[in-house]
Amino acid sequence: MLDLSSFNNLQLDAVREVGNIGTGNAATALSKLLSCAVEIAVPRADLVSIYSLSEYYGNADNVVAAVFVRSMGEFGCSFIFIQDEQAADLMVGLLLKQQFGFIPTDLPQDVKDSALSEVGNIVLSSFLRGINSLLGVQQQISVPGVARDMLASILDVVVSIFGQMGEMALFINTELRVEGVDKISGNIVMLPDPDALELLLKKLQVL
Amino acid sequence: MEKTAHVGMADLVVVSAPAKMITLGLGSCIGLVIFDTTAKVAGMAHIMLPDSRGAKTVEKVGKFADTAVPTLIDEMTKKGASKSRMKAKMAGGAQMFALPNSSNDFLSVGARNIKETTAMLSKEGIPLIASDTGGNKGRTVEFSTETWTLAIKTLGKGQTEI
Repeated sequence: MLDLSSFNNLQLDAVREVGNIGTGNAATALSKLLSCAVEIAVPRADLVSIYSLSEYYGNADNVVAAVFVRSMGEFGCSFIFIQDEQAADLMVGLLLKQQFGFIPTDLPQDVKDSALSEVGNIVLSSFLRGINSLLGVQQQISVPGVARDMLASILDVVVSIFGQMGEMALFINTELRVEGVDKISGNIVMLPDPDALELLLKKLQVL
Repeated sequence: MEKTAHVGMADLVVVSAPAKMITLGLGSCIGLVIFDTTAKVAGMAHIMLPDSRGAKTVEKVGKFADTAVPTLIDEMTKKGASKSRMKAKMAGGAQMFALPNSSNDFLSVGARNIKETTAMLSKEGIPLIASDTGGNKGRTVEFSTETWTLAIKTLGKGQTEI
């Protein structure tokens, strides 16, 4: 299995490009969904110590909302759409306004979570479609899982992906910003399975 | 004033009373506390994964249940604790995301962490007198060597003590 500590800059650049393609697709989808302009930040591909994952995004006890999906096919990969809880609520509000013409008040949490999981699903499945065409693979997306919790608790899922093989995790991270009355941002995190890294780098012709 | 020790990911900390130990945002990870009220020594480990088999190197012994438990006992013994008096409490091991129809092993690592930590304690003969594990919510835990209680904060549910 490929060792993350042997990753070189060329390989990180290539992986970052995957993030770039995926994000372009995701931003277009989100923009259509919310009828708002969506800006994207330059994607990052970083090797992060599994002992300081929270510091990559903020503080361990920050409250965040996250939508998690898996790709299903030859290229095993996890994706998380992660936002501050406030940003997630604003985004759900925007979506509902788009659907109903107004933002219903006092929505039960499970309705908000279901709307959030729909936003996450659309963003992440568009991201995956971008990767599919870049890598020439046909991958399906799993049903999404949603959680609102402390950042450190959410990122424990990263530990369970990368922790057994070593001390580093590969994060491909991009930030989307919805341009509207309120600034709403969200991060797409792509976490390739360790045993899929070799395939990824081969497809990108950097191995 | 009591000092508070922060226990980071895969850290293993041993203190003498009076002191507090805190670890933030346990998801599938385990916050394990072992203590000896007579020697007034307590230790906490932030366990990330069940077992070190298959790992190339063990950079931090607190990372795996099978390496954390024996080391915690050793470190406490060095500070004057006696194994025969040691008791344990633990919290954590949640499953943060559930995907229907999915059999992804890594999503249920919390349950395996609970199982392996419990097994290691029983192998060492240390009674696990209280635990708050499983579920799908993250936990922040704080152990006090004054009351020997583990306070557990869960988002939206407030605080409980075990």
